[in-house]
Amino acid sequence: MADAVMTVEMIQASQAGMKALGAGIAVGLTGIGTGIAEMGIGSAAVGATAENKDIFGLVLLLTVIPETIVIFGLVVGLLLLF
Amino acid sequence: MTAMLVGPAPYIYVCTRMRVRKSKLIPRDEYLRMLNMGLPEITRFIEETEYKTEIDELGTSFKGMDLIEIGLSWNLAKEYQRILDITPGFLKEFTTAYLRRWDIQNVLTIIRGKMQGMSQGKIKEVLIPAGELDRVFLDRLLTEDTPERIAEALKGQKIYPILARDLPSALADGSLARLENELYKQFYSDLLVDARSGVKGGPQFEEFIKLDIDITNIKSLFRLRGDNLQEEAGDMMIPGATFSVDELQRLNSMENQNEFIDSIKNKIKLRPLLEIIDEFREKQSVRQIEVALIRVQLRQMERMAKIYPFSIHPILSYLEMKKYEVFNLRALARGKESNLESESIKGYLVM
Repeated sequence: MADAVMTVEMIQASQAGMKALGAGIAVGLTGIGTGIAEMGIGSAAVGATAENKDIFGLVLLLTVIPETIVIFGLVVGLLLLF
Repeated sequence: MTAMLVGPAPYIYVCTRMRVRKSKLIPRDEYLRMLNMGLPEITRFIEETEYKTEIDELGTSFKGMDLIEIGLSWNLAKEYQRILDITPGFLKEFTTAYLRRWDIQNVLTIIRGKMQGMSQGKIKEVLIPAGELDRVFLDRLLTEDTPERIAEALKGQKIYPILARDLPSALADGSLARLENELYKQFYSDLLVDARSGVKGGPQFEEFIKLDIDITNIKSLFRLRGDNLQEEAGDMMIPGATFSVDELQRLNSMENQNEFIDSIKNKIKLRPLLEIIDEFREKQSVRQIEVALIRVQLRQMERMAKIYPFSIHPILSYLEMKKYEVFNLRALARGKESNLESESIKGYLVM
């Protein structure tokens, strides 16, 4: 059985790959979380706006609050990559 | 299938709409203010609320009390139909089943009108087409000459088997009371079958039906005691909830008021109902008792709507509250028209 040989270049490339994977997972999972949270808030917001158009501004603000989750994911992703 | 594809979003959407609509209902303070108004002022007040479109639409054809009555009925029917339009999935099935109550009321109103020889126009004024039978279908029923032909025209509808079975004897007796009881019993039994069919949300719907049956039965018991009637008790009672028909008959035969109330309390578990029933030990009018029971029911429905926020409860809670708003406005207007004292009118309001 031949011994596996790991060069420094291979390890560096592997580390870069893992970082990219981690960044992808961070953004992807937080994106899904944001989507789930916004689904509930968004449908309630549309329902409330259908009954009372004056609250559109307020419900829009409430709907985008879960965006913070994906922004955290993005920040973590950027920190990993750069 | 739809629910699986789109998730809970449509349920959240419709339940939120119901909550917003509930917040737009006339509050208690406004009713108290209206008690000091005259009929023209009440009409103007109603015009400024959610009933504006109907009052404006009918303003050229009707006046005074008729305008209010018909405007309110039209608004209630339209509101219920609009809710059915926006309700998704299993909630729509349950709401449709619940609204069949109005079909029974409308068909019986038409048959009663025909038996008393009233004109089509007069009968039409008091119909509330909020159920499965729409305005066009009810118009077709109105053109039928006899109650038998009305029953025939309903072939294929859920209420037809009971109508076909009991209408001949009801017409022979000259009273539809027994037929009405049978129709409502069948209605509740159908609702329980729908709720127990294994559809998602069924247990919550069953909870509401049982509450409704219990409150209706307790109301009937107090009404029977008020009128000192014994013989019809079994006919009026609806099975399927806390009390069996035998138990209800036994309760009805009790002479002593304290013993009667203690026996009810032994069976029911709902705390607000237990508290209110204790107050009925003192002599109160049947109407006061009924209003107190309706208030307990509405409060309990609101509580259930909070426990299950995206279920059938927020919808049913709004439908019931809207119904009592219309009843309140009608009672207010009728009371003012008959020059009743504000205090007596207040006793008829559910607020």
